Amino acid sequence: MTYDVVVIGSGPAGSVTARFAAQAGAKVLMIERRAEVGVPVLCGEGISQKVDKFHALEGKRWVANVMDGARIFSPNGTKVTLSAEYAGSETGYVVYRDIFDQELARGAVHAGAKLQMNTNAIGLLKKHGKIAGVKALYQGEPLDIEADVVVGADGVESKVGKWAGIKTTLKPNDLETCAQYTMTNVDCPDAFCDFYLGKKIAPGGYVWVFPKGKDVANVGIGVLSSLSESGLAMRLLDEFIANHPELRKGEPVRLLAGADPVAKPIESVRDNLVLVGDAARQVDPITGGGLMASIEGGMIAGDVIGAAVKKQKFDKDVLMAYETRWQQAYGKKLLRNYVVKEILLDMEDKTLDMLADSLKDYQFEEFSTLSLIKALVGKHPSLLVKLTPLMKLART
Amino acid sequence: MAKPKATVNRTKCLACGGCIAVCPVDALSMSAGKATVDSQKCTSCYICIKTCPMGAATEEHA
Repeated sequence: MTYDVVVIGSGPAGSVTARFAAQAGAKVLMIERRAEVGVPVLCGEGISQKVDKFHALEGKRWVANVMDGARIFSPNGTKVTLSAEYAGSETGYVVYRDIFDQELARGAVHAGAKLQMNTNAIGLLKKHGKIAGVKALYQGEPLDIEADVVVGADGVESKVGKWAGIKTTLKPNDLETCAQYTMTNVDCPDAFCDFYLGKKIAPGGYVWVFPKGKDVANVGIGVLSSLSESGLAMRLLDEFIANHPELRKGEPVRLLAGADPVAKPIESVRDNLVLVGDAARQVDPITGGGLMASIEGGMIAGDVIGAAVKKQKFDKDVLMAYETRWQQAYGKKLLRNYVVKEILLDMEDKTLDMLADSLKDYQFEEFSTLSLIKALVGKHPSLLVKLTPLMKLART
Repeated sequence: MAKPKATVNRTKCLACGGCIAVCPVDALSMSAGKATVDSQKCTSCYICIKTCPMGAATEEHA
């Protein structure tokens, strides 16, 4: 089997990369080790409405709920509200990630990409010392796929980067370990996403309640792996639900585990190879959200790869245009938020309570982590003093 | 006595991939949809055990 491009993984980053490379005329194969795109879901299923600007998804079948805002609860229960009323109309969606992923995969196929399920990449094909495709198992039988460009879109546990000599191993303080119930028969009085902070609630992370409908919600937890112990995320999630009567009355219809990289973005290009999405650690280290970066990064990667195929040049220098462009588009923001994550992790619960108290009546102009950071710095200029040297350090 | 290697209970594992992402010696991979330890590579650091949200990763019983 010979292709211009082989994409490993059919999540959002893989599908969007495949679509844009195919649109640019490349012959693309996307492989997926599972038997169904998007299943099992490994996600809290929240995304900014800014996703609409990419026009990557047709229709609204993937939308479960349109958010009116978000509330952040500090450890002592002080509430900070980001409301659509003040932030304009643009807030967020709660999505059905399985349908979301399948819609993006459909976009790739529609553009001409091939998609092969039950196909597990197990190594790189090399020719004359250069990457020349992927060794895979299809239904358990060996299958060599020759391609000029290999795209690692293989998620948080990415092996593709390791095979190419990119250090992708996460330190435990750069991974959120997660568990989530989708619960039915709960009370969702409004369409607000709720976030609960505190060392006793979710050490180094948060609990989220994302309503998918009037009586259905994703209730999940992320715990920083360095502060975790065996099974802690699941235990703390059960504890949280037991302490909240509006959730306790419900029953779960789905249980899932998750792992979310909250690291600095890593290098993403080698000769004949790129990494996209979670595999390249393109995730917002504060929220843990990675869908937007996966889609935008996939568009850039597909575009650059398409141009490389036209020129028949696949070395690092040519593919580097992808890294330059994603760094410009969102890499700096991810790095800034990594620095803010480190500051937040250092804070005692009572400091978070104090900060929340100072923002409890604040009217946010925008629905974003940046507007939160701006508000915090406005109220507490000393935070900026902390932030500035760390930002410089992060750049080196 | 050498420390026991890590192992993953395939029934409890929900395939999030967290253990694979943090393993410092690349001893874990997804096999038939579940995380699996290569005991030849495992150095018994137990980072995977601490990381597992479900308590599926444990020390191997002798």
